[in-house]
Amino acid sequence: MEPNQAAEHLQTIRTLMERSAVYRRALAPIMIYCGGVGLAGGVVGDWLPLHLARGFVLFWAVVAVTGLTGSFLLVRRQALKDSEPFWSPPTRRVARALIPGMAVGTLAGLLLAWVSPAWNECWLIVPIWCLLYGLALHAAGFFTPKGLQRFGWLFLITGGLLLVGLGGQFVNPVVAAQVFQPHWLMGGVFGGGHLAYGIYLYFTEKRGQPL
Amino acid sequence: MNPEPFLQLDRVIHEKGRLAIMSMLAASPALSFTELRDALGMTDGNLTTHIRTLQEEGFVAVSKSFANKRPLTTCSLTAGGRKAFASYIDLLEQIVRQHKPR
Repeated sequence: MEPNQAAEHLQTIRTLMERSAVYRRALAPIMIYCGGVGLAGGVVGDWLPLHLARGFVLFWAVVAVTGLTGSFLLVRRQALKDSEPFWSPPTRRVARALIPGMAVGTLAGLLLAWVSPAWNECWLIVPIWCLLYGLALHAAGFFTPKGLQRFGWLFLITGGLLLVGLGGQFVNPVVAAQVFQPHWLMGGVFGGGHLAYGIYLYFTEKRGQPL
Repeated sequence: MNPEPFLQLDRVIHEKGRLAIMSMLAASPALSFTELRDALGMTDGNLTTHIRTLQEEGFVAVSKSFANKRPLTTCSLTAGGRKAFASYIDLLEQIVRQHKPR
């Protein structure tokens, strides 16, 4: 065996070992479901008389739990359909990577509920959740196909732009208060973002692609 | 070139399909038959044959169970399999090192 052949062999082994640790469940149905839940949350939240910080946090906590529970059920259904274990090592890695960002996001929400600022200041939590969710997705992206990491970056950029644009008052505060209603912001950023990514994945994602 | 490391390479692991299976299993505690088949793009028959060969060598352990009333076959590396795989990697690295300019 020539040394270059041995080096190629080692590279192939490395690729296979990395591939083995990658999460392979189809993300399109999960993203479309979460997008639908998020958009519905935006519409329902604005329609309900929930224009207080505590009501806002509680409502979006319910939306998040609905999204997470549905996602877990979809992942479980895919695993059972493929005769594969649900709580596989790649699934565990992805869950562990998501937890820190999500946990800090929960704490930020609790802090908002505790401080209970005026309704027109509640939008501030949206870019913070957006940034933390982007970080969580970016971390999980190390154990999934690379698209998820790019999706995480979109949340980071959106969160950053919202924070600078709204917080830095580059956008007229009167216009912003009317256009960027917190429920609409949440529905648009999280719901719309997931739905768009889910539709993109629906047409591009290939399951069980051989190496 | 010293042919010694090449001659020591395990013939069972050196085959392309079996090496792929060993590599996948080396990075995970266990993988299901379908996960291996889908990731490697092998046919059921081909994968079964390779796994049987690796099982006979004592490199791979196969366990059968039921998940939600469906049969679930999972494969994992045995301690001997991990050792053999590590030795195989060592030998490949030796071959590469032999020709590295000093």
